[in-house]
Amino acid sequence: MSFYNKEILRIKEDCYSNQWQLDTVIGLRNYINNNFSEKLNLDLFSRIRFVSKYHLLRLFKRYYGQTPNQYLINKRIEKAKEYIKDGLSISDTCHEVGFESLSSFNSLFKRKTGFTPRAYQKSNFR
Amino acid sequence: MKIKLVSIPVDNQEKALEFYTKKLNFVKKIDVPVGDGNRWLTVVSGEEQDGPELLLEPAPVNFEPTKVYQKALFDAGIPYTQFNTSNAQKEYERLIDLGVTFSVKPTEMGTVKIAVFNDTCGNHIQIVEVL
Repeated sequence: MSFYNKEILRIKEDCYSNQWQLDTVIGLRNYINNNFSEKLNLDLFSRIRFVSKYHLLRLFKRYYGQTPNQYLINKRIEKAKEYIKDGLSISDTCHEVGFESLSSFNSLFKRKTGFTPRAYQKSNFR
Repeated sequence: MKIKLVSIPVDNQEKALEFYTKKLNFVKKIDVPVGDGNRWLTVVSGEEQDGPELLLEPAPVNFEPTKVYQKALFDAGIPYTQFNTSNAQKEYERLIDLGVTFSVKPTEMGTVKIAVFNDTCGNHIQIVEVL
């Protein structure tokens, strides 16, 4: 067995032996993936997964390296890029990915991609 | 600053281009001669052609320490780099059908499923599906 194969077994044993915790965070990530356009918050996540919200926040960050909200924002921006490429308008995209305010969508999109939604839209028509 | 390119050492650029385009469905982006038979040769993911470029670097042929390092990683089974996939099992089966050999079959490890294959150019490569 190679060094790397042994390391995989060691890491699984040391870091990923709590199946309940894994099921909880994987379930939450799937929920976000399927419902990113809805109004989501930690209280809702906590009710869905039957875990206190601060424990859930810690668990998600422990396994995915980011908070559920950070993951949600990245997911929405990733989907927004797809929608803009598909020809959806900026305001419809903003609404479709679950942002309530166009200005916060604009600024988050710019921070995450380096382009405003308008500039990103134009760059895809070149 | 932006991250636009990452590199991977390959022992034969033409063979690497064949593997990365024919088996992995990557697309050649830049191919420029840089002397002594070497090329500045980059590919991008077929699914994300505006994503980072992967430089197929002929370093093991030209710089002995790279060859030593690459071989040490390979002998230990350690992947040189990894690529994301939306379905590790499906990708594994697709690559097996194309004759690609795996040192790690699809394996769940916490919040990811991984598999490791041989790129035939001196490297193990890991594919990862985030669960």
